[in-house]
Amino acid sequence: QNEPLIASSKRSDPFEKSTKEPKALLKDRLHDLEEVFQVSIAFKDDLVQKKVVQPGFFPKASPEESLSLLLKGTGIQYEKVGAGSYVLFPKASSKASSSVNPEIPAGFLDRTNPQNVPHERMGIKREVRKPSHAEFSVTGRVMDEKGNGFPGVNILVKGTTQGTVTDISGNYSLNVPDGSSVLVFSFVGYNSQEVQVQNRSVINVSMSLDESSLEEIVVTALGVEKSAKSLGYSTARVKSDELTINRTPNLMNALQGKIAGVNISSLGTGPGGTSKIRIRGQSSISGQNNPLIVINGVPIDNTNFGTNPGNNASDNSIGVRGGGVTSDGGDGLSSINPDDVESMTVLKGAAAAALYGSRAKDGVIMITTKSKGDRQGIGVTYNINYTNEAPLDFTDYQYEYGQGEQGVRPTTPNPTSGQWSFGERFQPGMTQVLFDGVTVPYQPVRNHIRDFFRNGQNLTNSLSLASASEKGGFNLSFSDLTSRGIVPNNSYNRKTINLGFGYDLTPKLSFRGNINYSNEKNTNPPNIGQQDNTIPVALYNLANSMPLNVLDENKYDEDGNEAVYSRFRNRTNPYFTLAEQFNRIIRDRIFGNVSLKYNFTPWLNIQGRVGQDYWSRDQDYNNFPTGQASRAPAPAGFVNGVYTQESRRFREINADFLISANKSFGDIGFNASFGGNHMYRRSDVNSVQVTDFVVRGLYTVQNGRAKDPIFDLSERAVNSLYGSAEVSLKNRLFLTGTLRNDWFSTLSEANRSILYPSVATSWVFKDNTGESGWLNFGKLRVAYAEVGSDSDVAPYSDVLFYGINNNLFGNQPVGGPIGTTLPNPDLRPMRVAETEVGFELTMFQGRVSLDVAGYHKITTDQIVRAQISDASGFVTTSINSGKSQNQGVEMLLTLVPIENSNFTWEFTTNATYNKTKVLSLLTDTPGERITVGTHVFNGELRQIVGEEMAQIAGFGFRRDEQGRIIYGANGIPLRTPDLINFGSALPKWFGGFNNAFNYKGVMFSFLIDFKLGNMMLSGTNFNAIRHGLHKMTLQGREGGVIGEGVNQNGEPNTVAAPVQSYWEVVRSQALIEPAVFDGGYWKLRQITLGYDFTKHLKEKSPIRGLKLNFVANNVLLLQKWVDNIDPESFGYSSDNLVGMESTGLPTTRGLGFNLNVKF
Amino acid sequence: DQNFDEFNTNQVNATAIDPAFQLNAAVVGLAFPTLGTLTFDIGIVQQIISPNSGVLTGANYNQDNREFSQSLWQGYYRNVIKNTRDVISRVEGVSNRGNLLQMARLVQAYGFMVLTDDYGSIPYFDGGKGYTNQVFLPKYDAQQDIYADLIKEVREATGALSSSQRIETADVLYAGNIDKWKAFGNSLLLRLGMRLSEVDPALAQQVVSSLGSGPFILDNTDNAAIRHDNNYQNPTGNTLNSTEASNFYLTQPFVDFLKNSNDPRLSAIAVRYVGASSGPEQTPERASFSADLQIGMPMGNDNAGAVKAASDAGLASFYEFSQADRRRVAKLTAPNFLITASQTNLLLAEARHRGWISSGSAEEYFHAGIRAHMVQLGQVDAGSMIPPEEINAFLQANPLIQASALEQINDQYWIASFLNGPEAFANFRRSGFPALAPNPFPGREVPFINRLTYPNSEISVNAANVQEAISLQGPDEIGTKVWWDK
Repeated sequence: QNEPLIASSKRSDPFEKSTKEPKALLKDRLHDLEEVFQVSIAFKDDLVQKKVVQPGFFPKASPEESLSLLLKGTGIQYEKVGAGSYVLFPKASSKASSSVNPEIPAGFLDRTNPQNVPHERMGIKREVRKPSHAEFSVTGRVMDEKGNGFPGVNILVKGTTQGTVTDISGNYSLNVPDGSSVLVFSFVGYNSQEVQVQNRSVINVSMSLDESSLEEIVVTALGVEKSAKSLGYSTARVKSDELTINRTPNLMNALQGKIAGVNISSLGTGPGGTSKIRIRGQSSISGQNNPLIVINGVPIDNTNFGTNPGNNASDNSIGVRGGGVTSDGGDGLSSINPDDVESMTVLKGAAAAALYGSRAKDGVIMITTKSKGDRQGIGVTYNINYTNEAPLDFTDYQYEYGQGEQGVRPTTPNPTSGQWSFGERFQPGMTQVLFDGVTVPYQPVRNHIRDFFRNGQNLTNSLSLASASEKGGFNLSFSDLTSRGIVPNNSYNRKTINLGFGYDLTPKLSFRGNINYSNEKNTNPPNIGQQDNTIPVALYNLANSMPLNVLDENKYDEDGNEAVYSRFRNRTNPYFTLAEQFNRIIRDRIFGNVSLKYNFTPWLNIQGRVGQDYWSRDQDYNNFPTGQASRAPAPAGFVNGVYTQESRRFREINADFLISANKSFGDIGFNASFGGNHMYRRSDVNSVQVTDFVVRGLYTVQNGRAKDPIFDLSERAVNSLYGSAEVSLKNRLFLTGTLRNDWFSTLSEANRSILYPSVATSWVFKDNTGESGWLNFGKLRVAYAEVGSDSDVAPYSDVLFYGINNNLFGNQPVGGPIGTTLPNPDLRPMRVAETEVGFELTMFQGRVSLDVAGYHKITTDQIVRAQISDASGFVTTSINSGKSQNQGVEMLLTLVPIENSNFTWEFTTNATYNKTKVLSLLTDTPGERITVGTHVFNGELRQIVGEEMAQIAGFGFRRDEQGRIIYGANGIPLRTPDLINFGSALPKWFGGFNNAFNYKGVMFSFLIDFKLGNMMLSGTNFNAIRHGLHKMTLQGREGGVIGEGVNQNGEPNTVAAPVQSYWEVVRSQALIEPAVFDGGYWKLRQITLGYDFTKHLKEKSPIRGLKLNFVANNVLLLQKWVDNIDPESFGYSSDNLVGMESTGLPTTRGLGFNLNVKF
Repeated sequence: DQNFDEFNTNQVNATAIDPAFQLNAAVVGLAFPTLGTLTFDIGIVQQIISPNSGVLTGANYNQDNREFSQSLWQGYYRNVIKNTRDVISRVEGVSNRGNLLQMARLVQAYGFMVLTDDYGSIPYFDGGKGYTNQVFLPKYDAQQDIYADLIKEVREATGALSSSQRIETADVLYAGNIDKWKAFGNSLLLRLGMRLSEVDPALAQQVVSSLGSGPFILDNTDNAAIRHDNNYQNPTGNTLNSTEASNFYLTQPFVDFLKNSNDPRLSAIAVRYVGASSGPEQTPERASFSADLQIGMPMGNDNAGAVKAASDAGLASFYEFSQADRRRVAKLTAPNFLITASQTNLLLAEARHRGWISSGSAEEYFHAGIRAHMVQLGQVDAGSMIPPEEINAFLQANPLIQASALEQINDQYWIASFLNGPEAFANFRRSGFPALAPNPFPGREVPFINRLTYPNSEISVNAANVQEAISLQGPDEIGTKVWWDK
């Protein structure tokens, strides 16, 4: 340091000073601060003039914190430009743009333009008082656009780190190496100027305002940076802290409840599972609704390996072969390390995403990864995050009657009720006989869930090396995430290496790029939802007097096979599953892109870019372990079992170019770009499945008896051309139009080419100039766009394919059509037309900001994988029909109720109301319906014309006109003649409330989130009812159930039905009404407590930054309506199965910490 | 996008295969889907039942259970009709594949007959035409119309089979043997005709008389059977050897009927695990085939009732009741018989008895039918072989008596159709024999089940057509009778 801070002895008592002056002029306080901390603060007088600030004292430790407190509510923010040097400038105007974290100063977050990045100047050293050996001295004055002296302007000798800052009057003096040096004058918000010294000793300069740089910069479609106020549509920005402090193994799950308009569901499938993201609701009736993931401007693959049994429609998820495995194999987002994310922008509406055309139907998540450090030399950052995940048990079962059927408890060896709790009333001293004569007390066993599952753990270690210079920089990171699942044999490990880099080769030619390598190892992701081998289903339905240790100790019979414990043999003993079934997934993935940019002139450039996402994924699993009780024996000489081994490869290449022009003529600005993209995707799979083995316990292909190999290959390509044009008037009114044309390989020639237009306007009716007043900033925006998608059309879906069975039958081939879906050669891409209106307001110097958007989205020509009559020979077909509507309002409100130098309270709320409607299917006849998914047990999900999307349907109780339930002659309730609708499974309301408090640097925040207005069909309760665990089944245990209602003659029902038969109607009659619930909830989602120790660090300490946070996730379920489960605890990623709950893993409460150290 | 068409051409999969292989898939698909026929058809005729509730609800309680009433429907339309329709559309008019065309028509007719017998009105004329004619939501047809067309189809197809045309040697049913296919066609037509004996005796007689001397399936070597192996297992055998191994038992009416007539088939079919107090204790060491020891499970019990019935019978548990032997006649590789020599002989016995045919004597056919079934059991598993002297003794002890001929013949048809649930169920409804007592279960919906209910998916997806069928046939309930059931 040239100016060591040795001024502590000169400091006056700041507390005394500040309290003496209850109402101080900002200007005076700034001078005080300069004095106290021995720093220099540069500002333009008119910026601070007449501004009055609250009295308060300067915290003793850091000038930064004092300054930020002082400036709160003034509309001014500061920037550190060097050791002990600060400059002030007006706050960026559209702070209220729906950033998820409004507490951070806007303006810098997404600023990736190197000329404007603050750290560019961090290397500047003040030389004012430095004795120098330089030969040449330059002095001069810098003036602002009005001709006044300009303090705080940075002056740098180009190509060196020598420089200075202008003083309060705008004067400077600097030694330069020689007379041919070039000086660079820069100031935030102003255009930089380069001036050749040319042996002059006095150089005066006038700075001109750079209108656009005052703005918040937002990364928009195709990676184009735009000023936030020019946008005619809503975007949401996510700060990297949001992803890293309160992290989850799949990074998006950390954002649950935080972004207006974005509904994120974490699935109860274990670490490494998929993340379900819906932006502005579900648009597709029966297909894909996943947003596009774009990293550094190039799309990556987000293939979903979630399992969706009963999904009759399409969602491009990839399941497993051969049954027995229903685990979640993760998605494309799961291989991203949150520490590498610099920023994330969510493009919510069609207008925002229109330039992505066919892939943007469901919005875009744009991730920018780190590509440089914050200073010269090597900066090292180390981050450790640890959370402990405790499984939560929401069961509230009956414990009055124990194991058994028809009121009888097990009293002889090898009973097989195991999964039924229709036994006898517990009495002291009673015993039950389990397995081969194990006698144990007949008493309740209450903690099956907590005793079986263990606490999970997530430990992430990340190390990054970064450097920056004025010409570029790099960021290299290594990260290791080790997760221990709550199922005792489940673990997940992810190692990532990420390199981001950029360099300006010449002022005109620059390149940048990033490479991400990840290695993921998912061991035994748990099966969910189904019967076979599914630990949660077997465990949640285990008879309520079954001791777990007995179940564990007796899992094998004398031959080493599963000992039968229930007549329901598909409910595999969970300990047998744990010991015998395995599923190993390893994925190696490398994605990245390189781009080259050439500036022809300052206003015209061309960029070329190539990106690739490649992964290979090896998986092997035994679908059915040898000896499982639900399986038939193998032929003599073999043992039974099924084993599958498969390898998949995936490659997506995107090559694009973009020409951009940006020029102003007086008040009118033009901004235009034109580009093209070629996308090519190829995936293939080799898979071999074998049935029955020669050598027991040797799960290999060679050891198998019957072998069934598959090779499959899929290719698709999309060519695109696109362009956009923007006109702005006085930097207040913006009009943007885009056009994109896509050509799809998957569609027939006649339907192949589609054009998507969009138009958006933004009108800033009040711009932030830093002055006081109730309204500081106001903007109105309107947009309309059309996008489309072929993503529901699989390659080759125009043709029916035939296959030959792997084994001959009677020495003859057997074959037929592959699959149960009828091909349709005439499919067209579906289209989404969305209109969006919104406004942004900032009021009371940023104490109140509001961003509201309303949207109306019509999806037409939907490619519907509709269920058709079995009697057609096929189960589903793709039809190009279907029209649906999404309407909603999303809003983000930020309030700062308290803000003083000690304490800040910031309240943020986001809420989204989304209402869907099916407008037509094959026709627009109200009531016309299709089935898109069926529940694993009973009930289904439908789309019905005239109703909200995703109706849960099934048989209900038959009732008379007065609503009384009608019973048959046997006392068992009758069901409705037809399936009835129980309501939509999609939430109408979702959002969250965040409260953030800062007391003297201690940050505390908590988030409450909610989803409301969605129905669910609970498979867990369905089973709890038919197995006698649900409390409602206590009715009628003695003497049978006399249901309240009438018989078929309208007389009161007096017939007592046997209790077990009565409750089993959910299964035998598919009468699911008792298992339908409101699926909404209110949750205390997150608590964070943190402190930044950086200000206590000594200047010479090798540690430059130290932050510690304590985090808690999924803290408390405040309100729910469904019995026995967390409404979030289920695991199908498909919208075609939304609301079709089937027992997944219990949800967990995470507690942990995050420590971030910078060197 | 110049190369996009090429790009969108699958490099891996075939767009067509030899239709003969597809007909094989249809034949394999004719195997009765497991729990659908076990919980309903076989239980309705009181041969095998489960005392267990929930998903196994069906003929044991005489209650509807939509989970499994749909499995036959789904299995046949998706695996049989889909393929036969496709084969027919591919080979129709192809000069040298005439025999394949006729074989596909016969297999299809068999499938449709089983479907309409179980459900009544079904999509017939439009059924299975999703791919060929883009009919996604087919109309339902009245059983009367279906039968008329089935008779026409089978008659035409059988007549058109020709040994001078290409022989379809890849065929897994008869290796393309024209004589055997003709026997299959005639036997199927005989079955179709006899099914109408009550609703339209004149038509029945006309169809049966027209058949003349066949040829018919009169010898076990001509049986139409899906000869399962380890890769293509018998679905019913698989179920009875895996999840439901200890959940299904022979009924008291069936065991007692065989026992009371000293039928040697009881030992061939049944097994009792003496002393077994649980499913896992049903070990080969405990197995007893002795007819004297066999005890059937009484009808009309739930799980608790079965426990009580077992203790009333002096058994250790209900796991000690007799079962259809899953290690012999119900083994994994047991053939699934579609039309047998036994069944055809017995139908001819009835036809002769009614005077609709003139050759042979009713008793000859009757005895030939019984003998064929007894021999057939031994062919399934050597452990079920019945010595010829026992067969002869049984036949001698059971002459056909004119006054009770219909009952005798159809009682035997009931036994001969053991494990062919749909045929046993249909013939029981048609003939009224054997004289089974109504299921006494207190919670029953109906005394007898007369048909299976439509799949939930049909009610959901194809509602308008289902409603039309209901308006003509009667409510979609298990008590509603099908057209020929008078």
